[in-house]
Amino acid sequence: MWRTVTVREIVPETAHARTILLDVPGWPGHVAGQHVDVRLTAEDGYQAERSYSIASAPETAALSLTVELFDDGEVSPYLVEELQVGDEFEVRGPVGGYFIWRVQDGGPLFLLAGGSGLVPLMAMLRHHAAQKSTVPARLLVSSRRLDDVLYRDELADLDGHDAVDVSLTLTREQPPGWTGFGRRVDAEMLTAVGPGPSEQPQIFVCGPTAFVEFVADRLVELGHAPDAIRAERFGPTGE
Amino acid sequence: MSTEGLWVDGNAIAGLLRELFGAELTATERGCQTCGAVNCLGAHRVYRGAGTVVRCPVCGDIALRITSLPDRHVVQLTGSWSLDMPRT
Amino acid sequence: MSPISRGFRGRRRRDIDPARVPPGQYIVEDFPVLSAGPTPRTPLEDWSFTVQGKVDRPTSWEWDEFLALPAETFTRDIHCVTKWSKLDTHWTGVSVDTLLEGIETQSQHITAFCDGGYTTNLPLEDLTGGRAWVAYRFDGEPLHPEHGGPARLLVPHLYFWKSAKWVRGLTLTSRDEPGFWENAGYHNRGDPWKEQRYWSD
Repeated sequence: MWRTVTVREIVPETAHARTILLDVPGWPGHVAGQHVDVRLTAEDGYQAERSYSIASAPETAALSLTVELFDDGEVSPYLVEELQVGDEFEVRGPVGGYFIWRVQDGGPLFLLAGGSGLVPLMAMLRHHAAQKSTVPARLLVSSRRLDDVLYRDELADLDGHDAVDVSLTLTREQPPGWTGFGRRVDAEMLTAVGPGPSEQPQIFVCGPTAFVEFVADRLVELGHAPDAIRAERFGPTGE
Repeated sequence: MSTEGLWVDGNAIAGLLRELFGAELTATERGCQTCGAVNCLGAHRVYRGAGTVVRCPVCGDIALRITSLPDRHVVQLTGSWSLDMPRT
Repeated sequence: MSPISRGFRGRRRRDIDPARVPPGQYIVEDFPVLSAGPTPRTPLEDWSFTVQGKVDRPTSWEWDEFLALPAETFTRDIHCVTKWSKLDTHWTGVSVDTLLEGIETQSQHITAFCDGGYTTNLPLEDLTGGRAWVAYRFDGEPLHPEHGGPARLLVPHLYFWKSAKWVRGLTLTSRDEPGFWENAGYHNRGDPWKEQRYWSD
């Protein structure tokens, strides 16, 4: 079930994150929202495994993963600081049949990202753009500071499309002149940026467990059907 | 950030479930014998102890216990499972 | 054969006396938290520890009584079946010998039972002779709930799944009764030096 992949290109995203483009022989294709399991093997045979969401749209030829550095992590420091073009590791997948979206699934979409939880949602928006979808999509990204927001320029571009709306909230530090949100996500913000329950949106929430739990609870309190909310939680290490 | 319970959701073991069952299972619904709640495996709670434990997100009832040995997985399914798996 | 990922080493330290590392284990500096379920939050006023089962009479201590028992502070290496080992861990706890003192039994088997429903089984001889404790302090601090606090069983000479977190008592049983992980494919005894990880070992 494990395939050997080779790093084709590395693109820095922020000071603590990079996107890794991979050559994957025989890649069967994927659906936006899916992830892969990554396995690294050290010279003495020691292995470590983590899951990473696929950042690329299904329409893009090269498979890409965006990895954010977690200081206490074991795998992310290697992938973000050490990995070089030409290096190899193994992936299993793509996996995931629950936290996925295809344009034919319709909408409207309400996407909520905590930090690097943005990665699978970005795959969905890239797929949306590649298919020139008119499904209304609203994305809210919660991040500590502007410099930590992944894909900033691309998000600004997407925000310009008719069907897509992007909102950011910076919870720790805001740059001078910032006109976006500057606090943790709350019910008022969700109401301001998102479709209401009567629009019956498909909701995807992704990020650290505490973020997902909090946001999901607020959404249910606002009247969204629990069934309409799909969540993907990162564990305590964030990896 | 709270590490309350230290669980992740079923999406995290999608690859392992595929190895075990030969099918994509995160969208498959399981009916809980204890509380009656029906939830996708992707929404169940995954705890990592000596092995992997999957629990009902509502009542904590154990759905799966998975011990991964070098050459096999030992799986115990508990409670009531109604798997609806599409033919591929 | 998996390809080697150039430059990957993982979290492990290298400069350890190999005689302290059981086969297949890696030394870690942090203290990984693994759990089969949610962290129980029993208030201390509701907590008790009970020795019961095939005994002449069951014995129980509430929290204050438990803390008043003679305790030891000691250092041991611990080994998890998931392959991490942590050396020189510092604990304070009551020896199981103290808890079993004066108790008459013909049983040779014990099941440790815990808040949250976890159980593990051990031969009586693995819990006695100064080899096991019920520990309530780690590194000089009260044992944190995610590591099994208020108190956990501590049996350092066996794989750490035997050191049951959130322990509430010991039941002396007539027969050996495999516990939570022993029923799920893990070895019945779990000696790390014999690499007894799984039932087939």
